[in-house]
Amino acid sequence: MADRYLDKDGLAKLISSVIGKGGRFIAPATVARQTVFKEVITADEVATGYILARNSFKEFLFPQTEVVADFSIRKDGVELRARDVKAVDTVVFGGRPCEAASVASLRSVFTWDFVDEFYTKREDKTVVISVACTNGDDACFCTTVGLSPESVAGSDIMLYETTKGGWLVHSVTDKGKAFVAAHEVVFGAQSADTDAVTLYNPAPIEGIDLARIGGRLKDRGHYEDPIWAELTRKCIGCGACTYVCPTCHCFDIIDEGTAFEGERRKNWDACQIDMFTLHASGHNPRDVQWKRWRNRFMCKFNFYPEKFKSTGCVGCGRCIRVCPVRLDITEAMEALSK
Amino acid sequence: MNNIYLPQLVTIEDIYEEAPDVRSFRLVFKDAGLRDSFEFKTGQFGLYSAFGQGESTFCIASSPTRKGYIQCTFRKSGRVTGGLAQLSIGDTMGFRGPYGNSFPLDEWKGKDIVFIAGGIGLPPVRSVIWNCLDRREDFGRITIVYGARTVADLVYKNELAHWEDRTDVRVIQAVDPGGQTPDWKGKVGFVPMVLEEAAPSAKNAVAVTCGPPIMIKYVIAALGKLGFTDESIYTTLENKMKCGVGKCGRCNVGDVYICKEGPVYTAAEVKKMYNDL
Repeated sequence: MADRYLDKDGLAKLISSVIGKGGRFIAPATVARQTVFKEVITADEVATGYILARNSFKEFLFPQTEVVADFSIRKDGVELRARDVKAVDTVVFGGRPCEAASVASLRSVFTWDFVDEFYTKREDKTVVISVACTNGDDACFCTTVGLSPESVAGSDIMLYETTKGGWLVHSVTDKGKAFVAAHEVVFGAQSADTDAVTLYNPAPIEGIDLARIGGRLKDRGHYEDPIWAELTRKCIGCGACTYVCPTCHCFDIIDEGTAFEGERRKNWDACQIDMFTLHASGHNPRDVQWKRWRNRFMCKFNFYPEKFKSTGCVGCGRCIRVCPVRLDITEAMEALSK
Repeated sequence: MNNIYLPQLVTIEDIYEEAPDVRSFRLVFKDAGLRDSFEFKTGQFGLYSAFGQGESTFCIASSPTRKGYIQCTFRKSGRVTGGLAQLSIGDTMGFRGPYGNSFPLDEWKGKDIVFIAGGIGLPPVRSVIWNCLDRREDFGRITIVYGARTVADLVYKNELAHWEDRTDVRVIQAVDPGGQTPDWKGKVGFVPMVLEEAAPSAKNAVAVTCGPPIMIKYVIAALGKLGFTDESIYTTLENKMKCGVGKCGRCNVGDVYICKEGPVYTAAEVKKMYNDL
């Protein structure tokens, strides 16, 4: 399966090569004692021994804030200027198979009928190099949603850690193969270092049945079920789960600027915030927190699979790790499996 | 690059004061080519920009039978509509659209049409009314039931007077109890009750309704009592939207994305939706 080899020196050369050609190299690095995806310029910055970066890498495909147009308001009218995406070649290194699977999900939303080229142009220029998991924690549940510590969906290249600190390289997609070919010097042939570290192998959570959840969400009987309010009573509506989630895609469109010059921006937003669906009249279709939480759950297990034909929840567990009140989405999955 | 968030520039050609804080703009595209080529269907919506304040979603309140301009009607209530309210004739704003589906007027040929609207719910219905009136011979009897909280809150007062003057339209105006003035000649009561009292025939008829969600709910019930089937009742669901193109995650009612599959639905379709209105 693995066709090439990469070691730490190779990684250093790879980073220099990508940056040298005007690209950017995104990898997990330590910032304020946390491992987060960020743009790196040296191999020394790339974190090791992490389970999962705290953020997902979606912000490099779908930035937290992005100018879509800017304008000047003048006496004789408005001058409106469209913005283009200046997408640069991007390598996302060191993500996990779970979050790699989310790339297809984001694409499905951003290309559903209308094509959001701010997204597609960036994603088209991105090579995803994932590292198969050799470790996990209690929040991980990829195998419960049909993925695994080495599933290749969404990855262009999959790496397997070796016992000596290198990686066995498996090119998954044509884009991945072309990337390896373009960096021949960096990716060595298979070396003597061929002992891959044993992969993490978590069992799926017992009592969770995705097909059953999907079926219950489709037949609308569950909608007013008191279970939603019970499960989510402690939710404080902070929206943290949505910001770290690799498939959450909601955004706002707002204007910023001075009285005469401004920018129109597309900013991350969250369906967990109370004002998200508030009408001008004061009417709010999702007027209480459990309805907002239910919407997010529905989005993952109904809208994505049924409407966008892609994976809504990749089981990365970020929403569980980051939740200030320890609200655990797998508890809802279990309850809905009954 | 095809930038789906880029609005077109439009000029405010005229402004009509409709009610306290409610205003209509008559808009023409700055681009002369677009002015001629722009087409929309009755029931579609757009996103209107007050540059510097942002974008808001309203229906197109004019009829596609009236070419060369579009009209929108809005109530000043937040940042964007506050920004729009500060604009004057000749000023520039933005428009993105048209989006969404439309009312199937061609399917209604030969039928009676009953319009029921409440408050600021009349603008979406206005597009349908004028479309029907501009091809009046295609339809049977036309009834308009319109109510607002107070006499002052009735929008399109001039047009209501015009429709009342026409012999081929039956108009019933109402205000909520307590909203009448001493010289008020219309009904006093809530729209669903006024509708029941007016009792338009359900035979070979369709109904079109828009207003506050609570009004729509009771109007559908009242129409049921009058014999209208859920398939013959149409409404437009104006949920909050930011993108208008199925991406921002706001307008969905359960799994139904209003901006893409709506905003026009029959009551039968609405009843199949998740109870999330």
